[in-house]
Amino acid sequence: MTRLFSLSLIATLVLSLLGCGGEQQDELVIYSGRSKALVDPLLEQYEGEVNVEVRYGSDAELLAALQEEGDQSPADVFWANTTGALGNAVNNDLLTELPDELMEQSARFAPTNQRWLPVTTRFRVLAYNSDTVRPEDLPDSVLDLPEHEEFEGRIGWTPAYSSFQDFVTALRVTEGEETARTWLTDMQALNPNSYSSNTPMIQALDAGEIDVGLTNHYYVLRLRYGDAKVDDEGSIDPEASVATHPFQEEDIGNLALVTGAGVLQTSDQSEAAREFLRFLMSDEAQSFAAETLNEYPLRPGAEVPEYMMPVDEALALSPDFDFERLQEMDPTLDLLRDVGAL
Amino acid sequence: MTGARVLDTIRDRWYVAIPVAVAVGGVLIPLVYLLLRAFQADPATLWDLVVRGRTLRLLGNTVGLTVGVLVGTSVLALPLAWLTTRTALPGRRLLTLLGVLPLAVPGYVMAYALMATTGEYGTLAQTLGLVVPRLSGYVGAWMALSLSTFPYLFLNLRTAFLGLDSSLEESAQALGRGRWRVFVQVVLPQLRPAFLSGGLLVALHVLGDFGVVSLMRYDTFSYALYIQYAASYDRIYAACLALMLLVLTGAILLLEARLLKGLLFHRTESGAGRTAAQYRLGPWRWAGYAFAAGVAGLSVLLPAGTVGYWMADSTASGLPWASLGAALWDSVSASAPAAVLAALLALPVAYLGVRHPSNWTRVVERVAYLGYATPPLAFALALIVFSLGAVPFAYQTLGLLVMAYALHFMAEAVGPVRSALYQAPPHLEEAARSLGRSPLGAFVSVTFPLVRRGLLVSMAFVFLSAMKELPLTFLLAPIGFETLALNTWSYAEEAMFGQAAPYALTIMFVSALFVGVLLLRERATEHPASAERA
Repeated sequence: MTRLFSLSLIATLVLSLLGCGGEQQDELVIYSGRSKALVDPLLEQYEGEVNVEVRYGSDAELLAALQEEGDQSPADVFWANTTGALGNAVNNDLLTELPDELMEQSARFAPTNQRWLPVTTRFRVLAYNSDTVRPEDLPDSVLDLPEHEEFEGRIGWTPAYSSFQDFVTALRVTEGEETARTWLTDMQALNPNSYSSNTPMIQALDAGEIDVGLTNHYYVLRLRYGDAKVDDEGSIDPEASVATHPFQEEDIGNLALVTGAGVLQTSDQSEAAREFLRFLMSDEAQSFAAETLNEYPLRPGAEVPEYMMPVDEALALSPDFDFERLQEMDPTLDLLRDVGAL
Repeated sequence: MTGARVLDTIRDRWYVAIPVAVAVGGVLIPLVYLLLRAFQADPATLWDLVVRGRTLRLLGNTVGLTVGVLVGTSVLALPLAWLTTRTALPGRRLLTLLGVLPLAVPGYVMAYALMATTGEYGTLAQTLGLVVPRLSGYVGAWMALSLSTFPYLFLNLRTAFLGLDSSLEESAQALGRGRWRVFVQVVLPQLRPAFLSGGLLVALHVLGDFGVVSLMRYDTFSYALYIQYAASYDRIYAACLALMLLVLTGAILLLEARLLKGLLFHRTESGAGRTAAQYRLGPWRWAGYAFAAGVAGLSVLLPAGTVGYWMADSTASGLPWASLGAALWDSVSASAPAAVLAALLALPVAYLGVRHPSNWTRVVERVAYLGYATPPLAFALALIVFSLGAVPFAYQTLGLLVMAYALHFMAEAVGPVRSALYQAPPHLEEAARSLGRSPLGAFVSVTFPLVRRGLLVSMAFVFLSAMKELPLTFLLAPIGFETLALNTWSYAEEAMFGQAAPYALTIMFVSALFVGVLLLRERATEHPASAERA
C-alpha cells in the first residue's frame, strides 16, 4: 500500500516535471502587473492570433522576479500598472529601446528614454459618499483638504498604494518638499483611515465608514455603475452611493497616472513583443480599456463612454508634470515614513 | 558519536535521512537567500529603517494580535474538540466537518464577509436593524483570524482526545476526584503537545498573515514587510524585515520547545489501551449544539453566505464553466501531490524528534517551522534563484510548485504526526524488531498504522492551505497556470465580487469534499478496539 502510494507519487512528480518543462520557442511570454480580472478578455481576443502565455502578479512581485531571473528570464513583455514600476525596470536596464514609429502612437506621456510605451491613463480624484456629503462643500484644491475639519476620522487614503505614492511624489516635486510635508502632517492630524488598496476603501466609502477618500477615478465608476455600464448608457441607475469630485483645473489632486508596457532585454521574440505593444494601441484594445476598464485611452481620437468625463476635459484637469520624475520614489517613502503614514 | 558511525547510521536509515535532508535543505535555501540579500543592504539606511518607533509598534501589534488569536482559537477549539470526541452527541461527525471547514475559507474572504456584515450599511443593519460598528483594526483582525485558524488547534486537540488512554482518568476518578478536577488535572496536561503544535501553527499563521490584517487595517510585521516589497520595489530591506520576522519566529519556537521538553504520553503498562467512555450530555446537549452552531455560523455560514450573495449579485451572464474547470484542475493537481509529499517529508522529521530526542533532532524539527514562517514572497524569490542556478529545467514547472508548497506547508503536517507518534508506544516497534523485522519493516507494520490518523490530518491541512495559496503560486507556477485562488483574489482585488464568487465557492466546495473523504477514511482506519465509538 505505502509502496504503491510512494511509487505513484514519484511518477506524478516526474511526469509533471517532464510534462510542463521548458518554454516553447514560439510563444510570447507576458509578465502582466495588470490584473487578470481586468485584461483577460482582451488577451483572449489576442490569443486567437498569437500563442501567448501570461504570468500575472503585482508590479512589484514581477519586478522582483524579473531581477532574480536575470538573463534566464523567459519573459518577453513587461506590462505594468504604474510608471514607477516601468521607471524602475528602466533603471535596472531591463527594457529595450522602442522604435519611433511605435512611440509616436502614444506621444503625450512618452518617456524620453523610449524604453516603454504609455497605453492608458487614470486620474486621481476625491471620491465621496453621495448620501452624506454635498459636492459643493468639497474643496477646489487637494491642498485645502486638510482644512476640512468636519471630516476628522472620516477621510480614507492608501499610503501604501502606488498610485497614492505617485501623487505624493508629484506633490513634492511641483509644490516643494515643505508643502508636501505640511500637507501630510495636516492630513495626519485629521486621523485618516489607511487602507491597503483602493477597493476596500471604496467599499468602506459606500458602507458609510468614511465620507471622502483619495482614490483613482475608475474605482468609483466601477462601483457606481457595476455591470450596468454595458447597458444603455443614457439611463444608467447608479448602483452605489459613491461619486467623484474633480478638483479645479491643473490641480495636483487631478494627477494623471499612466499605465504602460515595454519589451524586455531577455526577449527572444522581440518582434512579436513589439507587435503586442502595437495591439495595445489598436482601436480594439483602446476601446476595451475605455468601455470595460473605464480608463482613458491614449490613442489620439479614441472615445470614452458617455458617463465618463470626455478625454480632452479630463486631460485638461490634470496638471502639467514631468512624468519621468515619478521614479523619484525614495524621498517620497522617506517623507511618508517621517510623518508616520507608512 | 563518531563520524563513521554517523555515516553508517545514515546509510542504514536512508529512508529517514533522505527526506530529512530534503526537508532541511529546502527550508534553508530561502534562509540563505535572505541572508545574502540582507548583506547587500546599506548599513546606515538599514539602521534608520529598523531602529525607529514604528518597528517597536509593529512588534507590539504583532505580539498582541498573536496572543489574542491564541486565546480566541482555544476558546473555540477546545469545547468543540471535546464535544466531538468525548460526548455521545448525535451528529458529531458533521460537527467535526464544520470544525475543519473554516480552513477552506481564504482569510481575506473571511475579512470581507465580516466587514460586509457589520456597520451602518452592513447586512446586520439592513436585515435586523442592528447597527454595530464596522469591524476593523485589532478587533476585526482578531475575529477574522480566530475564526479562520481555530481548526488547526481543533484538529490537533481532537487527535489527542481520540488517542488518550482513559485508564488514567478512571484511576483518578476511582481515587475520588470529581469530573471537573479530572479534566483539569489529568486530561488537560495530556493535551499539552496538541495545544503546543496547534498553537504554534496558529501563531505562525498570524505572524505571516497579510490578507486579513491589510483589509482590517491593522499594522503588523508582515504587513510592513509587504509594503516594503510593494512600495519601493525593494528586495534588500524587505529581506532584512523578513529576517526580523524569522527571529521572532525563532523565539516562539524556542518557547514551544521548552514547554514541550520531557513529555511522554504513550502507554507504558501492559494490556490494551482503553478508550474513554463517552459522556451523555442530557439536556446540556442543547448548549453543545448552540455552541457548535454559533461557531459554524460565524466561521463557515457567514463567509459562504456572503460569497453566495456576491454570486447572486452578479448578472445572469452564466458561469464561466471552462475557466472554472481549468482552474479547478490546476488547483487540485498542485495541492493534492503537495499534501502527500508534505506528509511524507513530515513523518521522518517528526519521527526523529519524538523517538530520538536530542538537541540535533529538535533543531531539525524546528527548522521545518522556519519554512512556514518565511514570508512566501521571499520563499518564492529564493526558489527562483535556486532553481535557475541549480536545476534550470525545473523552473516554472508543476514539480517545482509542488515542492515549494510541500516545503512551505510542511510545518502544518509535522504537528499532527508528532501528536500521533507521542501516543504510539515505542516498545511495540521494539518488540517487532526483536521478532526479526527490519527497522523499516517494524515501523511500517507497527507504528505506521498508529500514526495514520495523524497523517490524514496532515494531508488535510496542507491540501487546504495549498488550495488558498497566492504568492508562491504567482511566482513559481508554470506560466499560464491559473488556480482557483489566483482567480478569486484577482477579481476580488478589483471589486468584481460577482466574478470572484464562483471561484471562491469552488475552493470551499472542493475543500469540504476533500475533508469529508478524509474523515470517512479516518473512520475506516480507527483501530478495532475503538470501532464501537464510530
